[in-house]
Amino acid sequence: MDFGKSLYAIVTIFVACSLLAAGLSIVSVSGIGEGWRVAQYVQRLGPVLAVCCIFATVGVIWLGWRWSRLAGEITLTAQTLEKADSAADIKSSESKVAKGMAAAITGCVEHHKARIAELQKQVGDLQLKNQLAQKREAHVEAIIYSIRDAVIVVDEYDRLLMANEAAGRLFGFEFKNSQHKGVDEVIGSCSKDEDRTAFADFLKQARQSRGRATRKELEFLDNGKPRTFDCIVSRIRDQEGGFCGAVAVLHDITREKEISQMKNDFVSHVSHELKTPLASITAYSEMLCDGEADDEETRKKFYAVIQGQAKRLNRLIEDILNTSRIESGLIKVNKEPVSLTILIEEQLQMIRSYAEEKGISVRGQTPIVFDQVYVDRDMISQVIVNLLSNAVKYTPSGGSVGIEMEVDEIAGLARVKVSDTGVGIPEDEIGHVFDKFYRVGANKKQAKGTGLGLNLVKQIVEKVHNGRVFVTSKVGAGSTFGFELPLAARVETVQAV
Amino acid sequence: MMADRKVLVVDDEIHIVHVVAIKLRNNGYEVVTADNGAQAFELACSEKPDILVTDLQMPVMTGLELVEKLRDNEVTKDIPVIMLTARNFAVSDEQQQQLRLSGCLSKPFSPKELLSTIEDILYQTELAGKS
Repeated sequence: MDFGKSLYAIVTIFVACSLLAAGLSIVSVSGIGEGWRVAQYVQRLGPVLAVCCIFATVGVIWLGWRWSRLAGEITLTAQTLEKADSAADIKSSESKVAKGMAAAITGCVEHHKARIAELQKQVGDLQLKNQLAQKREAHVEAIIYSIRDAVIVVDEYDRLLMANEAAGRLFGFEFKNSQHKGVDEVIGSCSKDEDRTAFADFLKQARQSRGRATRKELEFLDNGKPRTFDCIVSRIRDQEGGFCGAVAVLHDITREKEISQMKNDFVSHVSHELKTPLASITAYSEMLCDGEADDEETRKKFYAVIQGQAKRLNRLIEDILNTSRIESGLIKVNKEPVSLTILIEEQLQMIRSYAEEKGISVRGQTPIVFDQVYVDRDMISQVIVNLLSNAVKYTPSGGSVGIEMEVDEIAGLARVKVSDTGVGIPEDEIGHVFDKFYRVGANKKQAKGTGLGLNLVKQIVEKVHNGRVFVTSKVGAGSTFGFELPLAARVETVQAV
Repeated sequence: MMADRKVLVVDDEIHIVHVVAIKLRNNGYEVVTADNGAQAFELACSEKPDILVTDLQMPVMTGLELVEKLRDNEVTKDIPVIMLTARNFAVSDEQQQQLRLSGCLSKPFSPKELLSTIEDILYQTELAGKS
């Protein structure tokens, strides 16, 4: 206990005692309590009590002065605190109270400042994390939105969390209006298609299944046409290792299925086409070996058949290889100035015997046109023979096949047209006749084929010679197939430029 | 050798028809030929062959369609048929049973093998007829 505090305690006790003494003196002077034994003692101590009264008065005045000074100092300290810019202003005050308070407040302020700095750092970190999380979310959304496949994400209650545009288009819903709605409600209400509703069931089953991913092929009607989708539903694992939803990806495999089917058809057709001449070669050679051909004339016939069938086999293999080579850009092209008129004449001679065998008349071009194109002679010969043999193949006995050529000086083109009075091509199939392996459904029975001939024509004309193929047809009336090639003069001009 | 037996050979490949016909004629068979299913059906009705050898894939009418038509006709329903096919597994076992095909040979085939198959089938048919 310091000196100041002891002084206050002594003064206070002294004042209290003086007040008690003053009280007693008042009692004795006023005569209150006359007859009391106490009063007699008080009367005897009269002068002492008077002195006590004086001391009490002085003590009270001194205490009052001290308290008022203390109050003043507190007020001043409060004012200093109010105006102070720093703890130094408070410390510079001469008041002990102010200094004590300043020390306490400074300590408190420093503590709070440190706390505030810490909190501000935490807030900064959290804001940064939040921004990063938002950016990451936006990035993930952008990735999902840019995927061409339909993507649907659901939570553990089968509510829609995310879906991209392709999914919305496929199932006919707007993601903005469907977020957090049940997948049943979204897909069921937007689509009346049972197959699509089946997808919602599949998604739910897959989410509840034990495996990490479930796969299924589903078929939906799109604008009335069936499309096949490869649906993969993967369960989403959260940080604790539990499953918190599922993501479904629907990849349209309609085209792949078509190509696969076309390839299967192609293998089937090609094996048939290859085996047919091979069957003749095998049978005739066996007959020769077994001495079944009695005379020289018969043997010669057998040899001729074997030779012809071997050539046929070779032609077919060449067709397959050429298509493949042109597609891969590996074919060797020998372009030279050639007259289409001469090429047509050469091929007409070759096709005439085949046409006559079938009872079909062949019309050549009249009048003869003089032209010159810059092409690979063998390839364009193949184009002409493919078009002519197709025309003969799909024309019934008694019909006719014609070929004509014209030169369009203005456009700088030579145009060749092969027309027939054959079975014709249905309107909905005409756009596919130049597709690889494609065969017109209605005409499959009419003649055998691999679906390669017209594709080869297109590849040679368009890919190798920068020309154009075209076709017009009417079912039952016939077809006209043709191609255009740039004239040699035109090619030279373009190259010079 | 089974003389005086009539075989109908159907194929749109003229060379195959010729070679089979020569092989069979050399072995004493009477041979009738057709290059499509429709013509073959007419010949089957009029000529009543003892056995029919047909290609599977032909324009206008396939080999299977031809056999279906034969089985629906009272005159031709019991003619044994051998199918020539250039495609593996083109005719399933079920189809063979359903259409009562006597045999299937895949191309390329041996004329000798075809001849022995024809002889076997005709022999079994004869035995079945006797019993």
